[in-house]
Amino acid sequence: MRHFIYSVLFIFALGHLCHFGLPWWGLVPVAMLAGWLFPLSAGKNFSAAFLAGALLWFVNAYLYNAENDGMLATKVGLLFQGLNAWQLLGLTGVLGGVLAGFGAMTGRYARDVFVSNRA
Amino acid sequence: MRILKLLFSLLLTGAVVWLLQTTHKIGDSSLPPLGAFFNPFSGFWKNAEPAKGFLFHNAKLKGLSGSVEVVYDDMLVPHIFAENMADAVRVQGYVTAQHRLWQMDISTRKSAGRLSEILGERTLQIDRMARRRGMVFAAENAVLSWSKSAEGMRLLQAYTEGVNAYVEGLSAAEYPIEFKLLNYKPEPWSVLKTALLVEAMAETLAAGENDLASTNALALFGRDTFNYLYPEWNPKQQAIVPDTGQWRDWQVTLPPVAAPEPSGLLSGISEGAKFKFSLDERTDPYDDYIVGSNNWAVAGSNTASGHPLLCNDPHLNLTLPSIWFQLQIHTPEQNCYGVSLQGLPGMIIGFNEEVAWGVTNVGHDVSDWYKIAWVDNERTQYKLDAETREVQKRVETIKIKGKEPFLDTVRYTVWGPVVYDYEPTHPLRDCALRWLTHDQPSRDEMNTFLFLNAGKNYDDYRRALAAYDCPAQNFVFATRSGDIAITVQGRFPVRAPQQGRFVQDGSRWSNAWLDYIPTERVPAMKNPARGFVYSANQHSTPPTYPYYYLSNDFDDYRGRRIFDRLSSMRAATLDSMKTMQLDNFSQRAADALPVMLRMLDRSKLGAEGLKMADELAAWNYRYDANATAPPLYEVWFDSCYLRTWDEITSLRAEKKQVLMPERWRFIELLEKDPNSIFFDHLTTPQRETAHDIVHQSFALMQQYFKENPDKRTGWGAFRGFAIKHLALIDAFSRLDVVVGGHSSAPNAIKQGNGPSWRMIVELGERVRGLGVYPGGQSGNPGSRYYDNMVDTWAKGEYNNLLFLKSADEPSSQILGRQVFLP
Repeated sequence: MRHFIYSVLFIFALGHLCHFGLPWWGLVPVAMLAGWLFPLSAGKNFSAAFLAGALLWFVNAYLYNAENDGMLATKVGLLFQGLNAWQLLGLTGVLGGVLAGFGAMTGRYARDVFVSNRA
Repeated sequence: MRILKLLFSLLLTGAVVWLLQTTHKIGDSSLPPLGAFFNPFSGFWKNAEPAKGFLFHNAKLKGLSGSVEVVYDDMLVPHIFAENMADAVRVQGYVTAQHRLWQMDISTRKSAGRLSEILGERTLQIDRMARRRGMVFAAENAVLSWSKSAEGMRLLQAYTEGVNAYVEGLSAAEYPIEFKLLNYKPEPWSVLKTALLVEAMAETLAAGENDLASTNALALFGRDTFNYLYPEWNPKQQAIVPDTGQWRDWQVTLPPVAAPEPSGLLSGISEGAKFKFSLDERTDPYDDYIVGSNNWAVAGSNTASGHPLLCNDPHLNLTLPSIWFQLQIHTPEQNCYGVSLQGLPGMIIGFNEEVAWGVTNVGHDVSDWYKIAWVDNERTQYKLDAETREVQKRVETIKIKGKEPFLDTVRYTVWGPVVYDYEPTHPLRDCALRWLTHDQPSRDEMNTFLFLNAGKNYDDYRRALAAYDCPAQNFVFATRSGDIAITVQGRFPVRAPQQGRFVQDGSRWSNAWLDYIPTERVPAMKNPARGFVYSANQHSTPPTYPYYYLSNDFDDYRGRRIFDRLSSMRAATLDSMKTMQLDNFSQRAADALPVMLRMLDRSKLGAEGLKMADELAAWNYRYDANATAPPLYEVWFDSCYLRTWDEITSLRAEKKQVLMPERWRFIELLEKDPNSIFFDHLTTPQRETAHDIVHQSFALMQQYFKENPDKRTGWGAFRGFAIKHLALIDAFSRLDVVVGGHSSAPNAIKQGNGPSWRMIVELGERVRGLGVYPGGQSGNPGSRYYDNMVDTWAKGEYNNLLFLKSADEPSSQILGRQVFLP
């Protein structure tokens, strides 16, 4: 359980480096690292990363949206089949979650290959 | 096994990342790269500006000679305080880019013929037409000429560097949202781009011509009937500059041009051709409106305050972001407020502490087609008098996103480019375009507006205008000291009568524009006894003016209404100026409807018809948003008009261009020549007169509203009105605006087009300006300043323009400050 929490915190915190020059897919290597550093079972590893990635993207988007009073999200939603702001935020979270999840999975399997003793 | 898992997982992760940063096509539309677009670090969420507070940071700006302070007011208008003009326009470039960068990119891309670079093959034909009409050629020529003016070029370069300083400092996260949606990057600004913007304005304002349609009409009807249908002067109209004997003694030599000899072969039309008529009696309003604007100045003798008033409302395509950007520039030499175009230093329409000015389009035809006499089948040589000339080939390279570039060879003759030679069946296939816009402009052209910005009196105004060529504008002007003036300024060819009305013979140099009207002879007027000057795109002068000129559209109805109101106004105020700009009264309806109603035999109308006729009779000719009579009138009038000219509309339906008689002429014939052969409808056995046409059209109108009961509504809802985003993205457009107005009324609103900036200036002790445009200062759809003035505009309200005397003048309207340091 500790590793689960570490993994979530690690990805969520370091994911913010994307604000400071890391490209948007920088979340993937961050999650890889987490998958390597905090060995968990396959399912837990993925869900910890998914949770962190989704939170990271959702929370950041949510803050922009809240400050903006939802003006832009309302318009962009129309571009995507009339999604409302909450649905857009949800979609953003899912995308972040998926990216982190796959990243962590890869990190975990890399550890399996390069570090012999499994947790 | 573990290795396989790792490889599989790497592959999967890579695939997901790839999928999320690639553009995907779904049907006709393409989705932006989802990961790049949705991530909250550099995607669209970054464009969601805080709805409150002030966002702009101080910055270092290379090339400044001193610090520059920009004060923003609550409409996000930047007020620039600089020590000199070069610093001021450098900062103007920076702040304009800061708010409107994508607009700057897309509008110059269009005239550069570079849309396909970002949008792919679907815009190739648009790009091709821009290139083939010589837009880039014209822009290059403009830059060549401007380069000869050291001062003008210095300011243009400062502006350019200002834009580029902003572009260079941008991270991908800060790109305007449209770049993210269309997945491309901003590029540096250049003086050539400024020229492309000027050419785009020329394309809008100075490209009008009816050469082919007139040539076909002449071939179809013969000279006498042509003159009967298409007279050039409406006797009811007032010219901008009346004849006061000022040109009585001029010696004028017109060119010895042979009478043009157009041939109708251009589109397979010959006199007496057999017509095929369709029964399709469309009642869709026929699109007659091109471009128009109003401006006027009232002398102190006719105003309540004793101070001159100046008004301007240029009618242009209404888009989001808007074509205009409000601005104030203060230097030790000048203090000027107005609206600017994105890409041009200074202001186009505005005022300072001493003077105010505004513009409307002149609309003289400066775009002629010449038929080339080819010598060889490859069309590389052509005849010019006794000589044989070679065409010059210009190869245009059009880059296409995701495809190989398209190379297009354009032939240039002594007249200009052969635009349509790639279309084997185009009637102008063998014709070259002679267009003033292609010529090198006066080298000081760029300085006209900068000089006006700094002008202090009438002499400054005339000096500023002298360098101005194209697109020709009616410059209205007023000073605090009491002068009012108007000048029809531009470069106008000296034409023989009717020259340029038809396609001309391009094998004779005598058909060329051999001379231009001297600047001191362009129509102008200062301080007339009547106490006002005005223009509304009507004729510049009455027919007594010794030079011949023509237009594809001299609108007169707005002008007549404005003339009537100004003539009777003895104590004009800011409020009476507002009511004039917002006036929905249509002189055209007032001319036509009484005639049509008189011709209507009420005994032949049923109960419903009588109700409609009564409603029309009670109408005050105002196209108010909630008025229900205008839709009836529109459908009835358009139906009358189209039904009368069935000879022509049937050809137009076959895509053959034949000129439609102007509406004023139609109304005149209705009234004065109701038995004219043209009222006979050719598909019916009997011979109709105007009375029959009026009745038939009334019945069609009744039928239309029976079939479309939802259209029996107020004028605003009937017409509909939208302000579209420049890339036609509905989500970034305002589709819900309900407004009145009509192209024949001073408040010239039609679908997608209308008063793009309403300005009223009172030149008193302290100059007062009112203004509004249907948009907002920010180009960012995620900003509260994106469209915050649309509703103000739609309601017919104005903003008090904050005209600061100094950067530290206190005002409750100030939002924040942005300081630029060298």
